[in-house]
Amino acid sequence: MKKLIEVKNIVKTFGSQVVLKGISLDIYENEFVTLLGPSGCGKTTLLRIIAGFLDPTEGQVMMDGQDIAAIPAYKRDVNTVFQHYALFPHLDVYDNIAFGLKIKKEPKDIIDQKVMRMISLVGLEDFKHRDVTSLSGGQQQRVAIARALVNEPKVLLLDESLSALDKNLRKEMQLELKEIQKEVGITFIFVTHDQEEALTMSDKIVIMKDGEIEQIGTPVQVYNEPVNEYCARFIGDSNIIDGTMVRDRIVRFDDVDYNCVDYGFEENEAVDIVIRPEDIDIVARNKGLINGEVKSVLFKGVHYEVIAETSSGTSKTVTMHITKNSDVDNPEAGEKISASSFYMDLEDVDNLTDSEVIARANAQAWNKEDEFVSLTKVKYDVKNEVGIYPCTFGTDKGTEITVNINVVKPQVIEDESNEEGIQAFDFYKTADEIRESVALDTDLIRWADAYAWNMEDNSRVEIWDVKYDFDDESILEGDYQVTFSTQGRELKIETTDHIEEGERIGLKWNPEDIHVMRKMG
Amino acid sequence: MEQKTRAYEKIWLVLIMAFFYLPIIYVVFFSFNSSKSLSTFTGFSLQWYEKMFANRTIMESIWYTVSCAVIATVVSTIVGTITAIGLSKSRKTLREAVNQINNLPMLNPDIVTAIGFMLLFTSLRIKTGFTTMVLAHIAFCIPYVILSIMPKLRTLDPNLAEAALDLGCTPFQALWKVIIPQIMPGIISGALIAFSMSFDDFVISLFTTGPGINNISIYVYANVKRVNPTINALSAIIVYVITIVLIIVNVVPMIRERRKKKDEQLQNS
Amino acid sequence: MVYPYIVWAVAMILLPMLMIVLYAFTVKGNSVLTFQFTFDNFVRFFNDPVFPGVLWRSLKMAVITTVICIAVGYPTAYIMAKLKPNSQAMMVLLITLPMWINMLVRTYAWRGILSHLTISGEMKVYIGMLYNFLPFMILQIYTSLSKIDPSLIVAAHDLGADNRQTFLKVILPLSLSGVVSGITLVFLPAVSSFFIPKLLGGGQYVLIGNLIEDYFISTGDWNFGSAISLIMAIIILISMYITRRLDRQIGEEDD
Repeated sequence: MKKLIEVKNIVKTFGSQVVLKGISLDIYENEFVTLLGPSGCGKTTLLRIIAGFLDPTEGQVMMDGQDIAAIPAYKRDVNTVFQHYALFPHLDVYDNIAFGLKIKKEPKDIIDQKVMRMISLVGLEDFKHRDVTSLSGGQQQRVAIARALVNEPKVLLLDESLSALDKNLRKEMQLELKEIQKEVGITFIFVTHDQEEALTMSDKIVIMKDGEIEQIGTPVQVYNEPVNEYCARFIGDSNIIDGTMVRDRIVRFDDVDYNCVDYGFEENEAVDIVIRPEDIDIVARNKGLINGEVKSVLFKGVHYEVIAETSSGTSKTVTMHITKNSDVDNPEAGEKISASSFYMDLEDVDNLTDSEVIARANAQAWNKEDEFVSLTKVKYDVKNEVGIYPCTFGTDKGTEITVNINVVKPQVIEDESNEEGIQAFDFYKTADEIRESVALDTDLIRWADAYAWNMEDNSRVEIWDVKYDFDDESILEGDYQVTFSTQGRELKIETTDHIEEGERIGLKWNPEDIHVMRKMG
Repeated sequence: MEQKTRAYEKIWLVLIMAFFYLPIIYVVFFSFNSSKSLSTFTGFSLQWYEKMFANRTIMESIWYTVSCAVIATVVSTIVGTITAIGLSKSRKTLREAVNQINNLPMLNPDIVTAIGFMLLFTSLRIKTGFTTMVLAHIAFCIPYVILSIMPKLRTLDPNLAEAALDLGCTPFQALWKVIIPQIMPGIISGALIAFSMSFDDFVISLFTTGPGINNISIYVYANVKRVNPTINALSAIIVYVITIVLIIVNVVPMIRERRKKKDEQLQNS
Repeated sequence: MVYPYIVWAVAMILLPMLMIVLYAFTVKGNSVLTFQFTFDNFVRFFNDPVFPGVLWRSLKMAVITTVICIAVGYPTAYIMAKLKPNSQAMMVLLITLPMWINMLVRTYAWRGILSHLTISGEMKVYIGMLYNFLPFMILQIYTSLSKIDPSLIVAAHDLGADNRQTFLKVILPLSLSGVVSGITLVFLPAVSSFFIPKLLGGGQYVLIGNLIEDYFISTGDWNFGSAISLIMAIIILISMYITRRLDRQIGEEDD
């Protein structure tokens, strides 16, 4: 195949912002090339430079071996299909398609021939003289393609051209575009952020990030052999796991060594490991490489998407004391008051304020009309040491209640292998409060003051799971265990077998299904 | 906000409308009066219309008004369109600066703008007359034309111009074949505003015109002291013309729409 | 493409304004080349027994006209906004129609009607002003009312506001921007108006615009006329500034 376009070391800056950082790329005749990346990666800028709407700050674009820098957009042998089509609203379908030929002053009968051929290529015979604004998205798309192709360009540029269509139509247009490209036999350069689109249509995919090319390859190459975590994440659903390359063909994650086919890394080099969900097989427990518990099963049409936890996260169990309703009634004042005892961290004693005490004790007073009465008295004497301290709340009319503040040492569990810490405190509640909660998991996290963090950088880690063994509708007084835990290792699996949530299973894959990548940056 | 309106609310609206239309109806009515009186109707006659058409000064003032409005409209529309397109592509600071200058005649009282023109023309020893009046009209019309075109340019799909270039248009062809047709509604409404501003203008014309050159407003103003029912006839004629024009402007699109729908039905069947 | 117009705009818009300032601060009878700077024109204006009173009367008249326009225009716009969409368009058309007819001709039209009434010249001028400027106020307020998202009103009702509360807490604050731009469109021409008092006030009722006209057209004292215009322009500028500040403050209170 002949080289058609050579992009040589293109740099583009807008003010102080560097949008393209030295892009080099060869594009061949009759090739369907996709520039793939998230918004802001510079793919559209590159396309606009090839089209001639932007001048590169540095570098060259060669076409057929000639530098085209000096050729203005309207003389270039390329045509563009714009993101929102940019059809001329004052012209009908026919005149939109004929526009370029009329500008070139081609004879009328030739124009008519060419336009009619294009109209039938994109299947719009019945819409020739329709107003373009009255067309559907898919029809407008076809007009835009026909309008560009009728000029017989060497290269057709498509800027996110399918993004405005709905999902079904987009799939249909993907096939159609590929068909059209085969039929007219010219180079298509397609810009998109949709990896599925790129995989379906392209001969060559160019993955871009922050103005640089990360990987160039065929769809199969970029899918099976992503060069780094970024490309792996961008192309397809993946399990991407932090691991260590023990030696050639042996990789370790979650304290277990696995066979793989990769080599050429340093010994004990930290790496990213990719295992595609469709490469993992579900087998009986203890029959695979690793055991796990099914956390969720989602039906996806043809297959099920199964999430299995293979090692648990960091967890902390606390005791929830369910006490009886302790409302104090003050019939003379016509008021009632309630509050509950609470546990608190020794480290928080210094920063304790009245409003925080009220909030933690959930103290409130109300009158006969069920209107809240303000708490004007908050009395407590908490020392900076472990112990139990009384605390009294009261209203203007003398309605009072006394509860205990239990100051305890920090209740922290640190898990060295997960590099995570978690803390939570015991707490008191009434059965009513449990029953009335609308988001019990969230409330339990708040009541227990549960909090988890990453020990490496102290960033917050989400509490992923709250486990308890009571029924919140029929709970009685007594003590209950509540366990808070962070997310463990979860693997995504695609399977056609039906499987139940909570099932304990084994997982298996072949050594060649593990793909090891160098860490980025 | 669509809600039920109560009876007294409808009555209120009717009263307001009566307030707006009462003097117009009154003038038209008394333009047919057989006597000179402006308060008692003595009988039907067309004499004031005859007198009006026979009055050379009135006929001249109509001619001056119309020709001034036509020239001012054509010039200000062309200049305003070119400037608006230029502004849409220029730097923000330049655009802001021009907007600020354009705001002056729109925010200043007419009389201040008017004496400004008068002082300018006399200081430059330009004899005031029809030319100075037209120049002044052009000057105060252009900002309105620019103002009505700018929003159309702002909402224009920036890809349209690129699409034209992409399909082989030179920058000038792109402007003429794609941009101008797209902003045509803005240009037309700008031209309409310019025409009505110029046609209706009194204050600026009064200060920038010279001896013997009157437009309709100046004629009315100068002759209003004496009881002069030809002015009623003149006013009535303006009312007729504007009513007819507005009916055409509002009804023609409706008919066109209906015809288009019919055509589409025929095509589809 | 812009530069020819910039030259034109400087010559035909900026320069005339500078001429007014120049004339206001120079002695009468100067030729363009021999300026003689003076404050006399302003001193003369404020020391005159009549002129400050005329200025005051013009301001008072403009303020009262504006207030009446709001008082009449707001309910009108509010009722309009409650109509069905088609009737709304019809009402807008009906209000715009007379505005196409020359303001002078429309003012003239009132003379005949007002001759039947025995009211003071001042009243007649007020009627003329209300007639000329009310449409601006109605249309501005109507535009801001019709832009209010109907779901906001539904939301207010949903949150327990009755009709009166919805109006005071939601509709009124959201339509104030229309009132403010209406004020600009009414107050400004009302202050400077000179043919309405002349046509309807019977010649005895003099406003600041009439003074300016007299000094330019009849007396020919352009320096003094320019000074009066400048005083008026500055007062208008200050009032506009205050109005905008009020608008912004109202906006801030809403937040």
